[in-house]
Amino acid sequence: MPIEYKKKVVVMKDVVSVEDAEQLLEWLQGKSAIRVDMAACTHVHPANLQVLMAAGIKVSEWPADPDLGSWIASALTSAK
Amino acid sequence: MNELLEQFLAESREALQGIGERLMDLENAPQDQELMTQLFRLVHTLKGNSGLFDFPDMTRVLHAGEDLMDAVRNGKVVYSRTLADRLLDAMDFVSTLCDDIEQGRPTDSGASRQAVVLAKALRELLSEAQAPSPEPVAAAAAATPEPAAAQSSAASATSAASSARTAAAGTSLPADLAQRIPEAVRLDAWKQSHEGAQLWWVSYKPTEECFFQGEDPLHQARRTPGALWGGMVARTEWPKLAELDAYRCMLDFDVLASGPREAIEEHYRYVPEQIDVQAVNPASLAVPQGDPNGGPVYEDFVGDALELLDKGDLKGLKRAVSSMLELSNSKLWLSSALRWMGLVLSTTTPSTSMLRALIVSLRTLTPPVFDAEEEAVEVVSPSPAVEVAAKSATEVAGAPVVDASRLEALEAVLTVQREILALPDDAPWIAGRLKGVTSALTGCLRAMGAASELASLQAASEQSVQSKSASPLKNWLMDRSAESIANAATAAPKVTSAVAPAATVATAVAAPVAARAPAPTPAPAPAPAPVKAAATAAAPSEPAPRAEAAAPQDAEVADGEVRMNRRADDTSSAKTLKVDQSKVDRLMNLIGEMVVAKNAIPFLANRAETVFGMRELAREIKMQYAVINRITDEMQDAIMQVRMLPVSFVFQRFPRLVRDISRRLGKEVNLVLEGQDTAADKNIIESLADPLIHIIRNSLDHGLEMPEVRQASGKPAMGSLRIQARQDSDRVLIEISDDGRGIDPEVIKHKAYQKKLIDEATLDRISDQDAINLVFAPGFSTAEVVSDLSGRGVGMDVVRSTIERVNGSITLESKKGQGTRITLSLPLSMAVTNVMMVASDSQLFGVPLELVTETVRVPVKNVRSIKQRQAVVLRGRVVPLISLNSLLHIAAPPVINDDDEYAVLLVRIGEESVGLLVDEFHGTADIILKPLAGMLGRLHCYAGSALLGDGSVLMVLNLKEVL
Repeated sequence: MPIEYKKKVVVMKDVVSVEDAEQLLEWLQGKSAIRVDMAACTHVHPANLQVLMAAGIKVSEWPADPDLGSWIASALTSAK
Repeated sequence: MNELLEQFLAESREALQGIGERLMDLENAPQDQELMTQLFRLVHTLKGNSGLFDFPDMTRVLHAGEDLMDAVRNGKVVYSRTLADRLLDAMDFVSTLCDDIEQGRPTDSGASRQAVVLAKALRELLSEAQAPSPEPVAAAAAATPEPAAAQSSAASATSAASSARTAAAGTSLPADLAQRIPEAVRLDAWKQSHEGAQLWWVSYKPTEECFFQGEDPLHQARRTPGALWGGMVARTEWPKLAELDAYRCMLDFDVLASGPREAIEEHYRYVPEQIDVQAVNPASLAVPQGDPNGGPVYEDFVGDALELLDKGDLKGLKRAVSSMLELSNSKLWLSSALRWMGLVLSTTTPSTSMLRALIVSLRTLTPPVFDAEEEAVEVVSPSPAVEVAAKSATEVAGAPVVDASRLEALEAVLTVQREILALPDDAPWIAGRLKGVTSALTGCLRAMGAASELASLQAASEQSVQSKSASPLKNWLMDRSAESIANAATAAPKVTSAVAPAATVATAVAAPVAARAPAPTPAPAPAPAPVKAAATAAAPSEPAPRAEAAAPQDAEVADGEVRMNRRADDTSSAKTLKVDQSKVDRLMNLIGEMVVAKNAIPFLANRAETVFGMRELAREIKMQYAVINRITDEMQDAIMQVRMLPVSFVFQRFPRLVRDISRRLGKEVNLVLEGQDTAADKNIIESLADPLIHIIRNSLDHGLEMPEVRQASGKPAMGSLRIQARQDSDRVLIEISDDGRGIDPEVIKHKAYQKKLIDEATLDRISDQDAINLVFAPGFSTAEVVSDLSGRGVGMDVVRSTIERVNGSITLESKKGQGTRITLSLPLSMAVTNVMMVASDSQLFGVPLELVTETVRVPVKNVRSIKQRQAVVLRGRVVPLISLNSLLHIAAPPVINDDDEYAVLLVRIGEESVGLLVDEFHGTADIILKPLAGMLGRLHCYAGSALLGDGSVLMVLNLKEVL
């Protein structure tokens, strides 16, 4: 699964596709102070990003891929 | 190219042709619903087909056309001249695209823009009640930012030039946008642009439903060619998480990219309406960022820096900047500005205004304001070789006025380049040196405005680099001097001013076409003309894209002009050959003779065995014969195929014909064509045309009743006419049937009697079928009034003779009140005929085998004489006997064989059986029947002649004539 749901962290790996957005949105409902770990993420469909942006999720680990990182940086803020 | 694509192209051309024709027709009949529907269908089909392939531009335009035609045929939009013009332009565009595809040319990048413009033009007609005047579209497409520039006189040339320059240099990014981009990226981008790269700001706004269409805009944006930076931003405020629809796209994507605009447009070719590409003024990237920790120490620095700048001591300024940078915290606004200053200072001609603005921004701690005018400086990459050369080149680039001193400077540069090229070629850095010289020369050309020379320089440079020798460049340079380059500069405006009148002519013609001509030189196409005419400050500040556009070039512009003038019906090279029919006939003759000649070989083989006793030889001959036989048969088949045409060739005109006639008569007819692929020899197919038309006319005129009459007799109001073609062994059968009122034998009988075609006795005795067949009698026609459609009496008998002339036959069946069916039976090909060979008076004759029913030997004593005619009773029937010799006026009597018998060839001509007295039978043969030509052609007793395997000539009898 590209998204692993831990207690307070959403871990994104490899390619997160459009279908994952629904589950992500569901899972985030009613939760607070969640972080996202994108260290191993190579691409994420913007539907997921919309969810993260709307929920104000902060990034605990930036993607190893600097290009993706730069894109994400325009959308999400760092937790640190 | 695969089959599907080939088929698509062939169909598309046909469709485009059809669309063109119908548009022409509609001009004369603007209310014709049928034409509109046909037009709609053609465009619709074309659009659907194009969607199978990756042709988004074509599909876009066709989609707009389809929507428009749909509205027209539903009466929502009025057909007008403008509509026709725009559609024609769109179809010409599609045709051009088809040409590109066929030639394997990559689609011109301007095509995407073109497609959007055309589609917009078409859709405009949809949304407006009345067709708007074409001018606004032209203005929007062609002139864009500075239409006023086109009107500028020499006096305001400079201001026009500067505004043109601004437009050309690109829009300044607002500081807040610039600051989204990390400084490192911006520094790099600025450096790149200073080295000649073009910077673009791509703003991509996908539609809300794009996710559902399977699009991933982030992926698309990430892969923008030449992307330096990208970011996304939400369009509106995010709703509460519980109410969020994750699948509704609310993000806008921005990309800073370098490189050719065409690459970007190509990348987004599927969604051109969702993106906006703007040239970026690189100076606007230089926005310092950071902690504006102000203090008096800065004011000192600012003062010193300005002083150094005014004195022109750039080296000193550079030192000051670097030392200040070392001392300062890198996160300060100050440091950021210093970094920018450092970057600017590192270029060969640091822009003093930019430096000033940066320094001032330190004081004001607000984003620097750059004077746009000076920023569009021609960039020249530093030559790795001699600094002097580079410096003088840039000096030339910076000089504002064309004068003698400029020419001098140019000459100096050229001299240095020559010296460099004269250096030995064996240096390991030869490539770098050559490239350096090229850059310097490029800069010179651009500075002088001699863009026309760029292509040849580029070619020479490539050659040099490839061959690792300075010679090509040396030669290029040898042919040129400062004067010649300056002259080339004055030559250039002529070319571009040719563009301007072309552009104006274009606007006069039609809107979207105007958009096409300037498309290769985008935006202010008319502007460069007066600007170049002034030829002053415009020249050096002509930024890279403009010169680039001018270079690749005038050729492209000329191409644009050619394209503009070309219409959809200009032919391109096709995949078929036009062959003279005589050549094909020659082939047919040759293969015919080959067939006959090869048929002699088995006999030879037999003779070898029987007469000469060489069994082995006979066997070998037979084996070889098998090979030759196979090949010859195949060759014959192939050649026949060359002449084969499908019946659709004739059938395709019928729908129109039926429609026209039925309309004229006020009848409703449904035409069904079946078996259109059935093929037959060209001659036969062509000879079918007239008979079929006549039959159809008859059917429509006499056969099918008026709708009311039909309904009264319980038939559906719409009559049906079915034409079916199929192949049956070696014949082609064509059946024309209708469900009309049929042929009434009584009426026919009486009519024939009236016209004295039959006598009373026959009138009583004649069967229904025979009565119906009376229509074939010459001079027969039941029509009271000779209409222009039919009833002239040139009717069915002519049809029958035409059919029979090609060895076909025609039969007529009909049932009163139910309908009529006419069946044509035609040979597949005219070539090979089967004949029966007979001898008479030791001459060989051929009789078409299909006429022969029997060969029989009749004892002399069975022959009776009835009324001066001889006859014999055969199986209960009386068969008249005629001697072939007497028919041919040969004096000799028929030979009687040893058993006292005549050799009788029973033949059937039409309904009658006749016995031909011949001397001897000689078996059958396949021959190529050739009609007698010239004087001999008047001998109607012969159907033709043929060559036999042993070289002798066989005369084939035309028994109908003979008897």
